[in-house]
Amino acid sequence: MNNKTLYSVSGLFNTPNEIIHASEETVNAGYKKFDVHSPYPLHGMNQAMNLKPSKLGFITLIFGLSGAAFALAFMWWVNVIEYPLVIGGKPLFQLPAFIPVTFEVTVLSAAIFTVVGMLFVMFKFPNNSHPLHDTDYMKKVSADKYGLTIQSIDLQFDENKVTSFLKSLGASEVFSIHYDGEELRTDNKIFNPKFILFLIVTAAVVSGATYFTLNKLLFMSPFNWMVEQDRVNPQSKNEFFADGFGMREPVEGAISRGFTPYKFKGQPENAARYLINSLPMTEINLKIGKEKFEIFCSPCHGNFGKGDSRLKGQFPNPPTLHSEKVRTWSDGAIFHVITDGQNVMPSHAQQISIEERWAVVNYIRVLQSAVNAKESDLK
Amino acid sequence: MSKKPSEQNSVNSHWKSIGEYQDSSSIVEIKQNEFINGATDEFDVSELPILSRRKFLALLSASAAVTVTACTDYRDKGEIVPYTNKPEEITIGKANYYASTCNLCKQNCGILVKTREGRPIKIDGNPDHPVNKGKICNKGQANILNLYDPERLRHPIEKATNSSFIEKNWEEVDKKIIEKLKQSVSANKEIALVAHTNYSPSAKKLFDGFVKVFPNAKIYTYELFSEANKLLAWQKCYGNLNLPVIRLNEAKIILSLDSDFLATDGSVIENIRQFTQQRDIDSPNDFNRLYVIEGRMSLTGMNADYRLRLRPDFQFEFAMSLLSELVLNRGLRTNGIDSSVLSELKKYSLIDFVKKHSFDPNSINNLVGDLIANQGKSIILGGNSLSEQTHIVLNILNDVLGSSKLYDEKSSQMSFQLETSSNDINGLVQKMGKGEVGAVIFYDTNPTYHFPSLDFANQLKKVGISIGLTESKNETSELCHYVLPINNLLESWGDYQTRSGIISLQQPVISPIYKTRQKESILLTWLTGSFDEKNYHEFIRQRWEKEFYPSLKLLSDFTSFWYASLHDGIVTVTENKPQTNKLSISSDSLFTREVKQNNFYVHLVEGQNSSDGRFANNGWLQEIPHPVSKIVWDNYAAVSPKTAKEFKLEDNDVIEIESDDKKISVPCFIQAGQSDGLISIELGYGRTVCGEVGKNVGVNANALINFSDNSPIFYLPASISKTSRKYNLVTAQEHHALDDEFVKDIHRKRKIIQEGTVQQYLNDPKFIQKEKHDVFSITNEVEYNGLKWGMAIDLNKCIGCSGCVSACISENNIPVVGKEQVEKGREMHWMRIDRYYSGTLDEPIVSNQPMLCQHCDHAPCENVCPVAATNHSPDGLNQMAYNRCVGTRYCSNNCPYKVRRFNFLDFRETFEEGYYSQQPISLLNNPEVTVRSRGVMEKCTFCIQRIMEARQIAVEEGRELKGIDVMTACQVACPSLAIEFGDVNDPNSIVSMLRKHELGYHVLEEINVRPNVTYIAKLRNTHSEEV
Amino acid sequence: MRSIDYSIEPSVVEGKPTLAAIDDVVTRPLDTKPTTSWYVAISISGTMLLVGIISLAVTFIFGVGAWGVNQPVGWGFDIVNFVFWVGIGHAGTLISAILFLLRQRWRTGIARFAEAMTIFAVMCAGLFPLIHTGRPWLDGYLMPYPNQHSLWVNFTSPLLWDVFAVSTYFTVSLIFWYVGLIPDFATLRDRATSKIKKIIYSIFSLGWRHSNRHWQHYEMAYLILAGFATPLVLSVHTIVSFDFAVSVIPGWHTTIFPPYFVAGAVFSGFAMVQNMLILIRKIFNLKHIITLDHLEKMNKVMLTTGLMVGYAYAMEFFIAWYSGNATEQFVFLNRALGPYAWAYWIMVSCNVLIPQFFWFKKLRRSIVVMFIIGVLVNVGMWFERFVIVVTSLSRDYLPSSWGHYIPSIFDIGIFIGSFGLFFTLLLLFIKTVPVVSLSEVKAVIDGAQPTHGGRH
Repeated sequence: MNNKTLYSVSGLFNTPNEIIHASEETVNAGYKKFDVHSPYPLHGMNQAMNLKPSKLGFITLIFGLSGAAFALAFMWWVNVIEYPLVIGGKPLFQLPAFIPVTFEVTVLSAAIFTVVGMLFVMFKFPNNSHPLHDTDYMKKVSADKYGLTIQSIDLQFDENKVTSFLKSLGASEVFSIHYDGEELRTDNKIFNPKFILFLIVTAAVVSGATYFTLNKLLFMSPFNWMVEQDRVNPQSKNEFFADGFGMREPVEGAISRGFTPYKFKGQPENAARYLINSLPMTEINLKIGKEKFEIFCSPCHGNFGKGDSRLKGQFPNPPTLHSEKVRTWSDGAIFHVITDGQNVMPSHAQQISIEERWAVVNYIRVLQSAVNAKESDLK
Repeated sequence: MSKKPSEQNSVNSHWKSIGEYQDSSSIVEIKQNEFINGATDEFDVSELPILSRRKFLALLSASAAVTVTACTDYRDKGEIVPYTNKPEEITIGKANYYASTCNLCKQNCGILVKTREGRPIKIDGNPDHPVNKGKICNKGQANILNLYDPERLRHPIEKATNSSFIEKNWEEVDKKIIEKLKQSVSANKEIALVAHTNYSPSAKKLFDGFVKVFPNAKIYTYELFSEANKLLAWQKCYGNLNLPVIRLNEAKIILSLDSDFLATDGSVIENIRQFTQQRDIDSPNDFNRLYVIEGRMSLTGMNADYRLRLRPDFQFEFAMSLLSELVLNRGLRTNGIDSSVLSELKKYSLIDFVKKHSFDPNSINNLVGDLIANQGKSIILGGNSLSEQTHIVLNILNDVLGSSKLYDEKSSQMSFQLETSSNDINGLVQKMGKGEVGAVIFYDTNPTYHFPSLDFANQLKKVGISIGLTESKNETSELCHYVLPINNLLESWGDYQTRSGIISLQQPVISPIYKTRQKESILLTWLTGSFDEKNYHEFIRQRWEKEFYPSLKLLSDFTSFWYASLHDGIVTVTENKPQTNKLSISSDSLFTREVKQNNFYVHLVEGQNSSDGRFANNGWLQEIPHPVSKIVWDNYAAVSPKTAKEFKLEDNDVIEIESDDKKISVPCFIQAGQSDGLISIELGYGRTVCGEVGKNVGVNANALINFSDNSPIFYLPASISKTSRKYNLVTAQEHHALDDEFVKDIHRKRKIIQEGTVQQYLNDPKFIQKEKHDVFSITNEVEYNGLKWGMAIDLNKCIGCSGCVSACISENNIPVVGKEQVEKGREMHWMRIDRYYSGTLDEPIVSNQPMLCQHCDHAPCENVCPVAATNHSPDGLNQMAYNRCVGTRYCSNNCPYKVRRFNFLDFRETFEEGYYSQQPISLLNNPEVTVRSRGVMEKCTFCIQRIMEARQIAVEEGRELKGIDVMTACQVACPSLAIEFGDVNDPNSIVSMLRKHELGYHVLEEINVRPNVTYIAKLRNTHSEEV
Repeated sequence: MRSIDYSIEPSVVEGKPTLAAIDDVVTRPLDTKPTTSWYVAISISGTMLLVGIISLAVTFIFGVGAWGVNQPVGWGFDIVNFVFWVGIGHAGTLISAILFLLRQRWRTGIARFAEAMTIFAVMCAGLFPLIHTGRPWLDGYLMPYPNQHSLWVNFTSPLLWDVFAVSTYFTVSLIFWYVGLIPDFATLRDRATSKIKKIIYSIFSLGWRHSNRHWQHYEMAYLILAGFATPLVLSVHTIVSFDFAVSVIPGWHTTIFPPYFVAGAVFSGFAMVQNMLILIRKIFNLKHIITLDHLEKMNKVMLTTGLMVGYAYAMEFFIAWYSGNATEQFVFLNRALGPYAWAYWIMVSCNVLIPQFFWFKKLRRSIVVMFIIGVLVNVGMWFERFVIVVTSLSRDYLPSSWGHYIPSIFDIGIFIGSFGLFFTLLLLFIKTVPVVSLSEVKAVIDGAQPTHGGRH
């Protein structure tokens, strides 16, 4: 008994009137650290204990207003700043439409913070290690008795005096309530390393398990977000065709709109005879010709068509374009070589369009005249 | 290596002189070494200086690699498979277009096939084709689905003893067949080749060759729906078979006697174009006037200014009465008709006829008046099911009215159609029975289905060898010994000619996707004994080079000519058209035949979407609502309201129809405007052997066809009886009783349909604006400066053919949902044709209205979407983000036009156990359009993929995107040019002009959603003021 | 006609039980083993719940195509049930909040139970918006969470307002309910005999000590919450009604909807609470705590709100006629005469005609009669929502796209399932938590408050 530290002396009363009277007396007797316990709120008790009116309302006010402000500001930011979208031809910021959400957010934040503030800040709940717990006193006051407790930390506290004082007020029973060991511990359980370790381990296990189950054990996509499209995209594989090519070759002999097949396949002399270069030697054409020449021809033929390859002998060097032969060729002949290829030179028809081919021909002509420039050219 | 900016410039800028060019030596130096020094050295991180760029990159990539390996369960995005050798004409991601020919019906329209990376994905009309001018019917468009039909035959099959089919390869099949054919030649038995009417000169030559090689081969060609009567009549009148080409666009008055010339009769696409040409609101005085006197409510009837109900068996009497009225009472000149005819005419009187059939006398007076007033500018068209006599009378009428002025003098129709009469087909069956036939080749024909009464099924057993050439199995091929799979027309070569002077070429746009051959090349193989996949290509080419090209006497060489022809898909030559000599009717014996009267007649007509049944397995066509009844996935017996009362019939009651001891039972449907005592049934349904889609859809009414005559008779006396059975016909649009005051004419009251008459318009051009309220919005408007998309639909031109619907389906990957889902009201068509009746049940006035997303400025759907999945684009489109959509369906509820469509199920999976989710359907889908999945809302996008493509091109060419750069799929397809699309902010665009037009209106203006689709009020060209 | 002395309030707890007696009575269900009737009840409700779960599974696998919804009727049972349950969920908070503010001491007997019903009803209601897309895994899209596409929700959509309204309403109701429970948990903790119970109750009671220094703030908090809950109740159903009122569809686009819906909600809510209470007081014989007077008072409320609803029906017709808007007129005629007339007339008779019996005191105080009427009222209110949702959609502007709605078995299955969920939760509730607020009831029995200086 004595080795325990005393928390308080508490007395039980049977009727509301008694307890009201008792608390008034206690106040008059100058006790500060006392409390009244009753199974339900008693009217007039605040006056009897002369408590100041509750300040809870301010919390509500502050958080309510800030909730409203946040909601409005957020919606404005989203609709006007972050991602402006024209919705139903209405202006971006539509106050009337935002009111419902604002109201709800206000109520939500106000309600939550009021309760949280009261329970966890003002009452310092949860607290199940209060000395009053598990006492007969508490059992009774939570059922049908009314109790008055004067704490030992009160300045004018004296166990015997208080006991008799309570008795004098007509307490049916008087208890002395002591702390037990558990309740005296001061260190904060939250920072207990064991507890922290426990948290970490749980976190690790849970996340690991989740990842494993979702990604390995049962990897399923309830809805594939239309990633797999039942259509054949360009350059995609298609199992339907034996060769697996989604892209098909056009049928031989069929002519698509705006395309004229090359008539002189494998007949260079006809090409040389019948093909006429209709492309004028304008600056813009030469520009195109130069561009294409340097992309497609220069790697082998060299920048000036001198047949000096840039491929460091990884590929047989072609003959120069400045040979007498080539210079005397008709434009058609050169065009034919580009289109149809020659010896090891493949056809460039698929990379270079017809106009571009003629442009290249023109450019080659320029190169030829440039490389074998005569005095007359400079004038 | 650093280079001075000046040098930089000297290279990039174009060189001025040769000297200057050669100065830029350092650049040359650079270029000489493709790879900078060190580039080719071994790469080693350790050797790199601390935090050099490459080291950093190296580490970065290393770490990236680690991360990637760490999370390995990302979905595989597939691999890139480029062309090994890219064809010159193809640019990846860009479409190619091929001109070709659609030979699915007697029109042989020119088509333009859109391909992507060598795969056809859409069919449109060939703009260069003089007849169909870039338009094509919805059957032609839907053929692309047949090409990719999962149930196409993939290889030759041979019937085993247990009558199951086993796979064979071509070589052995060919060998066996040739041998058999030789046998029957030696055994002097007939080789019958049953083909459809052949319009191809080259194929003609091929047939001749076939007959040469196999002397006792006989070619039978037939069409289920032929113009035989018309032709015979013409022959009797003019002594030749060249039916004229009529320039409808020059006709002021068109009288159609049971002729559905806007849907099935003649060259439909051209008819529609020319007919609607004269319905241009800019010249209201030139409006033509259409009188329709018909038995059933046909698509043409829906568009009539005056429509009278008359059972086809009275048409002859009517025609005679009209003639007598014109000739005897109104004294029109008659040359070429002898007195006997005139005396015959005396028996008839129009007045009596009008009384007898309780016609509205005003209409008839108007008709007669108009005909007389517009001689030379009026034409009378007769339906194919009319008797030969009636057609003769019509020829006389046209002659009397001087209609020959409307006949095109440049070209006339080719007359292939009388090669075989149905007597010959009968004969063939008998011969088969007698065992005189050694071999039958069904050349892509299905007579077993077409002529059930002819009993091919049994007689075929007595034939030595029967060979079915077909794309997918059908009733006939089931009975054959050999079934040879043939190419779809998109895989085939060919040349076709339906008019003198116009030859249309067919070229393949994809090489056969299965082990199939085109039917001509199969015959060719049997002739030559060896196959080569280019054989028919070569055959045509040579025929052209040897026979056709020389006759043209062109300057260019043949190759260029051939390429050019293929490129255009059409060759027009000036042939000297056979002279139409004067009309001459000698004897009155023509008029002797009496039509035996009967209380009930059954009228078998060509299927609107099913034709003669060859499209049965095409889900698109099955699901496109019938233009008149809006019924899908079925045919039905249309009966008049009066008949229905008489027999206590309701919709969906199954009735039994009996015509000379042939019986069928069909669900009946009460059709407003149907004439009493007439039951009309569409053919082409009730296929028993075809793909899953078309199997047992509807009833096969071919059983009733009568073959006693030399051309099959589709109009027969019949008796009907009600059965206790019920059937479930499904319509895409709820029917409302016309007599129920509660729902009557709501479409007019609510100004959904606004109509007037030409008179009304001329008197008061603003007549529809009268009751317009000005609506205002409480918020300030969103500005759309610059390009803003809009559409205008001219209801004067729209005839309701639903060509736009199939174009939309094929462009936008719209799934087939099936009958049950349509019944639940879940069809997915982004565009629909709304059909409204007003007036009385017997004489309804019909209005059509294409309805699609209106892309409202104040789109109500957008406000209510909780996730902003639908919102507005800067160019005025109401757009859908499929992946953002969660599927609350709130937008659809809040859409006043109910044009939004929701994927209630994954329809590709649910329809027929995923019929359209199997290969190769994926090839069909437009790669530019998302394939929507379950739970997603969708709707018309104004073909945004086309808009984006056009914008891309505009950007490439460095210019502003213009309204005219984009044509929506429906606009391209519309044969009557009723749809205009473009920039409403551009004051010169057609759209903006129509938007401002006094006849332009928006549907449901009063709710102020500001639609961007303008409708042009329909003007009916009646004599009266009100509709 | 006896004269009533309004100066003294009739006692809200019949007889004069001692405080301890109240504890015993109220906590008996918690301390005793469940009766067989309870087991029967929960097995039934459990089965219903299972039916619902199966139907849901089917829906999630095949999509909402499994339901009867279609074009044009995009909403069917899903939204009907949603509105229905939200309505049910209204009585609870209304009773505990508004009656609290109005100092209606008779509420104490039924408040706790009503609040619990609210919470469960709102849970049932909240279910439907989550599933009605057929793809509940996308529901997250309705939350404005930061994401890599910087895509946000559409704050102008009534559906989004619903998300906020319903979730707020649920949270606040829950808090309100729990705050009310704390002292009772403390009492239970102190009564508890078994260790486990003690621990559980200790946790939930948060270590409440009945200290009057706490009671003071506690009462303040309770007052504030009540003050917030009241407008919240009104706002929630107002916003639910916006789902329809904000649209352009004739028959939906009506300004009368907010008050009309709230009245309807209170109406159906009270009916449901009344039904449940009748059962509870029977089963746990709380007759003298949940007295006949309480029930009669509730019936009076039902009568009133019933009349309001009736007024709303009439007014809709009047306005439709008065507005001269043909489309609007058609819609209402269509309701009364069209294909869904049967539903409309069920609604009218159950909601307007039947409750008129409550004019008679005898019927008002007859358990059987009031129970039947309560059930009918809820049937009627369910059909009210059906009429509003379905008839308006099935025949709106364009006759071409009119349709018909027929629910599928899965629709019905889910509907049953929602009832299963509701009753299951309710049954668990009455076995785990005092169905009557101990502290509040104690506070209102005669002589519970000090006679002198006691003021309220």
